[in-house]
Amino acid sequence: MTESTLFGLAFILYIVATLFYLAFQFSKKEARAKVGFALASLGFLSHTAALILRTFESHHAPFTNMYESLSFLAWASALAFLVIDRKFKIPRIGAYVLLIVVGLVALASSPLMPKEATPLVPALQSYWLWLHVSVTLLGEAFFAVAFITSIMYLTAKEPEKKDKMDSVSYRCVAVGFPLFTLGGLVFGMVWAYKAWGTYWSWDPKEVWSLITWLVFALYLHTRIVMGWKGKRSAIIALVGFLAALFTYFGVNYLLAGLHSYA
Amino acid sequence: MKRIVKFLSSIKLAIVLLIILAGASILGTLIPQGRTVEEYAARYGSLSGALIKLQWTTLYRSVWFMGLLFFFALNIVVCTLTRLSAKLHRASRPKVESEFKALQALKIKDRIKKNGPLPGARTAVEARLKAAHYKTRAAASGNRVSLLARKRIAGIFGSDVVHVGLLVILSGGVISGLTSVRQNLEMREGQVVSIPATDFSLRLDKFSTIYYPDGSVKTWISALSVLEGDHTVLTRNVEVNRPLNYKGFNFYQTSYGFDWDAPSVEIGAKKKSDPAYLKKIKVKVGERAVLDDKDQLAVSVVRFLPDFVLGEGNQPETRSLQPNNPAALVEGFRGGEKIVTGWIFANYPDWDQMHAANAKEGAKEKAPAPDLVFQLKSFEAGQYSVLEAAKDPGVPLIWIGCVLVMAGFGLAFYWPTWEIKAVLEETQGKTEITLGGLAAKSREAFAAEFEAVAADLRSPR
Repeated sequence: MTESTLFGLAFILYIVATLFYLAFQFSKKEARAKVGFALASLGFLSHTAALILRTFESHHAPFTNMYESLSFLAWASALAFLVIDRKFKIPRIGAYVLLIVVGLVALASSPLMPKEATPLVPALQSYWLWLHVSVTLLGEAFFAVAFITSIMYLTAKEPEKKDKMDSVSYRCVAVGFPLFTLGGLVFGMVWAYKAWGTYWSWDPKEVWSLITWLVFALYLHTRIVMGWKGKRSAIIALVGFLAALFTYFGVNYLLAGLHSYA
Repeated sequence: MKRIVKFLSSIKLAIVLLIILAGASILGTLIPQGRTVEEYAARYGSLSGALIKLQWTTLYRSVWFMGLLFFFALNIVVCTLTRLSAKLHRASRPKVESEFKALQALKIKDRIKKNGPLPGARTAVEARLKAAHYKTRAAASGNRVSLLARKRIAGIFGSDVVHVGLLVILSGGVISGLTSVRQNLEMREGQVVSIPATDFSLRLDKFSTIYYPDGSVKTWISALSVLEGDHTVLTRNVEVNRPLNYKGFNFYQTSYGFDWDAPSVEIGAKKKSDPAYLKKIKVKVGERAVLDDKDQLAVSVVRFLPDFVLGEGNQPETRSLQPNNPAALVEGFRGGEKIVTGWIFANYPDWDQMHAANAKEGAKEKAPAPDLVFQLKSFEAGQYSVLEAAKDPGVPLIWIGCVLVMAGFGLAFYWPTWEIKAVLEETQGKTEITLGGLAAKSREAFAAEFEAVAADLRSPR
């Protein structure tokens, strides 16, 4: 099987899994969520195989252009969902997290994204590419799950459901924040130092990673020290995810445009 | 003084600073940083003066941003110090005695009655807690024993370790800002450059560019030798991502360039009257080469520009030092007499604007097009390597700080401190055990462990 076949198969499995989780939303029949979980796991496996195949064929890490990195972020989000659902038994978020996964895969498959594996420019030829990008995107995937649970906290009515969403949000941040710090900031600084000779140069992408980091630092301080839980906590987690999203997408498309002035 | 300390250690200040720092950082990404005054004037008009004065155009190096960071550091220092003594006390000399009522007030608690005197019950409780990896302290008074059992006490220092790590990173940044040295070195093969304020120099032995099959650059390799006095101490290849480190200096491959002073150019000569005629010849800029002895034809290359553009006053000049639009000004000779002259372009081989050498500028009548046509087939220029020499004494602190921050996260999130307190009291040959549990993190897992401990004490396996 080729990479694109496996990728397409993963796409279909994610979509069907999403449909099962949506059906579960309306009827709360456990079996539907179970089928959804199994399908999402199969999709994840197929996606994993596609990424491995691409790595072997291109001889480099599978996240060197927008197509690859979107696909990897979708993969990481699927992984984050499977881990969180297994640990906290929270199938209610399945439909929404998988919608994000499906959206990312769809974006990656869009004709706007060049899919050819191109040879790596000298700056990207480093094992830090693996460490920096994979760990950062994994951290962002957990922020994505926290984003969903925070929205569900804000829209939920029953106190029991609210409590669960609030606590899972925190647990996602507790995983995502250290990963993001390690991958995005620490590994980013180490790599920048090795490749460019300076660990920090206030480039917009760096600054936006720092902003994302500051927002989640705010989340932790208000929550742990000031005891802000629930609504305000959920809103900060939302803002944090949007900042992470902007770091990932927006800086490339919006600020690059702004900075290409003159 | 007390009020100042209280203000500086307050969580509210921390929150306000986090928000202001985030806001200032955003501002710095919206306004392009470090451009020229003219660029700001063109972009922001009359506002540009104010922006420059507020240092919003060099925001991350501005006095007020430094001030913010300083306040942030001060907040962390004061906050950590004020909390640390209480935490150290709690870790090393905790209060062991518990009040019966205090335990009853906890969320996680239990009460067990055992037949038998106190010492036996105490041994059982201590053994069970030890089996669960708790470290137990005891305080006895009369017919009462208080136990304090804890595990992973280091966890309470997680946030402090993170904060110390951040301070180390900030101080590393200050040291970098004050003491780091950077210099670009343009090196040609064989050239020796002495590194300022050191006792060594650097020689570029060979510089090569390796291409992928599709023509894009795979890597640049600078073969470097470190020289101390006359002898070579070290020889290494430097590439992007593979800097050379020697005596605190790092040498990075940052760029490359072409030597356009004396490139060698390959010229193709054709005759309009004779389609079969084709001659190729290599000429150095400034030299003349004979094309054809029979016709006494010769060509000379007067000038070469890597990126031809018509500049001010329609004068040819080069836009950059990259070979984007290579062009050569050539002259053709027959029998020692100049017959044609004009620019030829590597990217536009069919461009034919050669004019006869004797045609007068601004002449109304067009001179007859010359028979001889030249093409710029290829060119070769030596490449030089651009390396950056950098010495940054702040870097080790950055890495130490990063390790501390990550270790602190590990402690804070994944090394939860759990505490089980117990009061054992003997009355009439029976011992009552009151248990209470405290966990700031991972409460569910703790509650399960607490229950298991209590269950085992109630009915030992």
